[in-house]
Amino acid sequence: MANKKTQEKETSLLKVLYKFFTSFKLATVVFVLMTIVTLFGTLAQVEMGLFAAKEKYFHSVWIIDEIGNFPVFLPGGGLLMAFLFINMSLGAVVKVKKRWKGAGTLISHIGMLMLFGGAFVTWGLGTDGYMALYPGMKSDRVESYRKWQLEVMPLNDDASADEVWILPADELSSIRPRSPRSYTTDDLPFEIIVSDYSPNAIPTPITAPMAAGSAAREIDGFKLLPQQKAKEAAANIPGCYVEFKPKSGDSDNISAILSAYSFRFDPGESPMPFVFELEGQKFGALIAKKSWHIPFEVQLDEFIFDRHPGISMARNYESRVTRLETDKGAKPLEIKMNEPMRYEGYTFFQESFGPAGSQPGDRMYSQFAVANNPADQWPLWALVVTSIGLGVHFVIMLLDYMARSRKKRIQAAS
Amino acid sequence: MKLQFFLLLTLIVGISSLTSAREVPQVELGSYDPWDSKVVETFENLLMQESGRVKPIYSYSRFTLLQFSGKTSLRFGTKDGETHELHYSEWMLDVLFRGNVAKALPVFVVDNSAAIVQIGVSPKEKRDRYSYDEIVSGRAKLAELSAQYGEKQRKHTESEKDPQYELDPIEGMILTLGRNISAFEFLVGQFSFARKGQLLVNENILPQEMVALAATLDPVAIIDKMPEMSIQQLGRAIQQPDNGDEDARMFTSALRLFFFYANSARGINLFPPQENDNEIWLSASDAMLEGLESKEARPWAVEQLRELQNVIEASTQGTETFSAALAAFSDSQRAKADARGEGEHSALEVHLYRGKYFSYALYLFVFGFIILATSWFSPASKFGRVMVLIASLLALAGLLLDISGITLRSIIRDRPPITNLYDTVIFITATAVLLGLIIEYFTRIGVGALIAIVSGMLGMFLSIKYEAKEATDTITQLVAVLDTNFWLATHVTIINIGYAAGLVSAIIGMLYLAARFVLNLVGKEAKDFVKLLTRMNYGVVCFCLFFSLVGTVLGGIWANYSWGRFWGWDPKENGALMICIWTLVILHGRMAGWIRDLGIHMNGIILGIIVTFSWWGVNNLGVGLHSYGFTEGVWNSLYKSWGVMGIFLLMGIWLYIDDRAKKTAKKAERNSKETDPQVNSA
Repeated sequence: MANKKTQEKETSLLKVLYKFFTSFKLATVVFVLMTIVTLFGTLAQVEMGLFAAKEKYFHSVWIIDEIGNFPVFLPGGGLLMAFLFINMSLGAVVKVKKRWKGAGTLISHIGMLMLFGGAFVTWGLGTDGYMALYPGMKSDRVESYRKWQLEVMPLNDDASADEVWILPADELSSIRPRSPRSYTTDDLPFEIIVSDYSPNAIPTPITAPMAAGSAAREIDGFKLLPQQKAKEAAANIPGCYVEFKPKSGDSDNISAILSAYSFRFDPGESPMPFVFELEGQKFGALIAKKSWHIPFEVQLDEFIFDRHPGISMARNYESRVTRLETDKGAKPLEIKMNEPMRYEGYTFFQESFGPAGSQPGDRMYSQFAVANNPADQWPLWALVVTSIGLGVHFVIMLLDYMARSRKKRIQAAS
Repeated sequence: MKLQFFLLLTLIVGISSLTSAREVPQVELGSYDPWDSKVVETFENLLMQESGRVKPIYSYSRFTLLQFSGKTSLRFGTKDGETHELHYSEWMLDVLFRGNVAKALPVFVVDNSAAIVQIGVSPKEKRDRYSYDEIVSGRAKLAELSAQYGEKQRKHTESEKDPQYELDPIEGMILTLGRNISAFEFLVGQFSFARKGQLLVNENILPQEMVALAATLDPVAIIDKMPEMSIQQLGRAIQQPDNGDEDARMFTSALRLFFFYANSARGINLFPPQENDNEIWLSASDAMLEGLESKEARPWAVEQLRELQNVIEASTQGTETFSAALAAFSDSQRAKADARGEGEHSALEVHLYRGKYFSYALYLFVFGFIILATSWFSPASKFGRVMVLIASLLALAGLLLDISGITLRSIIRDRPPITNLYDTVIFITATAVLLGLIIEYFTRIGVGALIAIVSGMLGMFLSIKYEAKEATDTITQLVAVLDTNFWLATHVTIINIGYAAGLVSAIIGMLYLAARFVLNLVGKEAKDFVKLLTRMNYGVVCFCLFFSLVGTVLGGIWANYSWGRFWGWDPKENGALMICIWTLVILHGRMAGWIRDLGIHMNGIILGIIVTFSWWGVNNLGVGLHSYGFTEGVWNSLYKSWGVMGIFLLMGIWLYIDDRAKKTAKKAERNSKETDPQVNSA
């Protein structure tokens, strides 16, 4: 008896939940909230910059904001999209009566679900970075726009390195002020103690007025002064304090301020690691962009940049490249605005060029955005499906309207 | 009857305000000799390269006068009692060939006379137009202040809009006036090299001995006699100290004068380059400097400059001589441009502006409105129906003019209809008018015609105001990422159709609320009429959803092709998304039973607010990849439009409360009838 009651209760709870998640009312509320969140997130970009606003409003579960001095609590974009996805799946696809008249709306909702699916896949599995090359240079290495990692490496006599120990970007960025973290590895004869990581900081001489008033630790006449995060996340230059503590205990600890300023900002430059010697071996340490290899090399043969006659507006920029693979040889290609190169799941887009302030005729590098997105073409298919759905719906509505009009006319005539 | 009297009064006031005449400003010229029509025609078809494209000087003249004056024509009276009206190409002829006349014409608009007072010039009306001659007494102060405010503006930009560097309106006006006066001086002094010492402007810049030298020195003739010299070498040479040697002094003076002429002759690029692979046209200044730099280029440079010199000299030798010289220059230039395949649509461009398609379309819409308004005196009569039909035909004619203008612009630049913010105005207007006319075709009650006419009037008025405010060529070159006719023709066009539908939904919403409000006031009901408005608005919202959704997803696909990501939460993308979402709010809210007739219309107005924010507002946030349409002062206009729509929303809230009260009263009445046996038995 008790079991039956519990079962009934469960069934009714499920029913209530099902009714709630499939209701038009939920959809309406979610849409209204999405409009508000989108508006807030758009306006916030003026002050916060795109990346921070995106994280706060669109990739979040909850948002706490202020209008004047009044706190406002809103569901985040992530939560709203999850609700909408469930509502659309259950309400517009599962629950909806399957009849010819509703075929168009059913198809269009499936199209929208595909779009959502694509967004989820991109968010979960997609990667994006860039590759910048001067003519004649080639590379198979893609760098992240915003993620920085700590690299420590034993150096050869020619300052090259065969192996690199990496403190991953997510771990590095999670180190808070006054909470040093220690790392050891069998490959290195010292412990690495990282502290006071700052996502945007400037190593400043202690003689500078700004440094004089700061309580930051001084190393070799410099202090690392944290700065406000830049609006453009890619413009942040992180830094941290690092201590190398010999495992043998025979030598003193070596301290340093590491700053991403030592990394290169131009593909023609080389990074300048902090170099130190321990037990007769040279080592280098560096904050470097997170990077990864792709299965083929790209060589920039020529970068073409031209402007509209007599004005500074760019008319066209394109790159003549050669794709190099050990087993398949070389293939010359063109990458230009709106015409990317797609290959092996990677897409190369003509993104920008540099150095800043270059004029036609100067030696310039070409920068490609490199994306690996398994759902790259899903939006296109989603659009096709949605458009067919809406088209079918409108045709059905039109036929229905014509049939009703004819019926009315016949009734009127009789 | 009271209502009809009110309508009549509104019409009379409207028409009289449209036809009220303004006082003609008097200028310090004894008389004005109009330009010969043949000279004007030849002149306006001359070609020049500006803003990255080859165009008729006609277009350049139009936007230059707009920039100075805020208008495309000029009216003034001379001392002989005559009144003259100049077209912009005639004004430009004065500027280039009769500088002293141009200096007396009142073209520099100043919105607040406080700006004029600050430069030490006697003010006229609070908002008025001044001639160069009137301003020249405050020229030095103007230069000083505009340099100061220019620096402040630069800091404002560099500091990412730090309020301490923000220019107040008067400072902004002084800066604009300073820039316009400098631009005018450049134009007047443009052909000084060919005027044998008649400098017209900036005479005081040159030392006295150089003014005397200018009367005898022909800078074109001396090109051949000079050593090869780059612009940098020329710059160094003119700074050589005087070593007492007379020949050296003469040579340096000649070089200084040459430099002065070359510097004055920048800006108007009239000469197609010699080399076929070079796309950059040259000004007289460029030709002089090229000739100076390379002996090889000298024959070509001298030939170009001589051709122009002939025209300048002929301009003082009577109409026929000038006309012939100008025609010879034009023919020579046209032959060179034709050989290069440039300027082929210049005649069409002259035709576009001469045709005044958008101005005439506005007149037709206004006329249509007046005709439509007369139908409201007796809407159900045959007279009313005929007036509606005439108004619809006028709206159709306005639409055809708008479409013709759009088509011509597309042909001239060889692009789909929309490439910049100005294009969106005329395109969205055409779409909204078309939607209104389609609605009228199906309903035949005058509402669709009203939607078409109101949309047409507002859109054409906006396009004219926008053009005057920006005062720059609206046929623009595209940044590299937009250089794709496929995406411009699909995503951009479709999303703008969605914008138009959103605005039409707002207009229907406002019509509904106004109609309900008036009906409530007079104590009448017109259920069928308001139901029809609701059906219309519902259809328009569906239409808006379809185009906004498809347009937005297409935009995402384009972004994926050009930037490597489908969606980046960029403000423009978010604006389009908000439009899609709000149409979904309306459709789902209706299915949920939360939104009925009044709700659809009120939400249609909110949709209109979102559309205007997405269309204009986000461009002015100054962030994102789509910010290529910043417009000064747009927020004020947006706040005003939102204020108007807000008033309608308040009307909607009032109607909602009133409906609820009536429903409650009816329910109470019904309940009392059911419970009162006497009433029941009765």
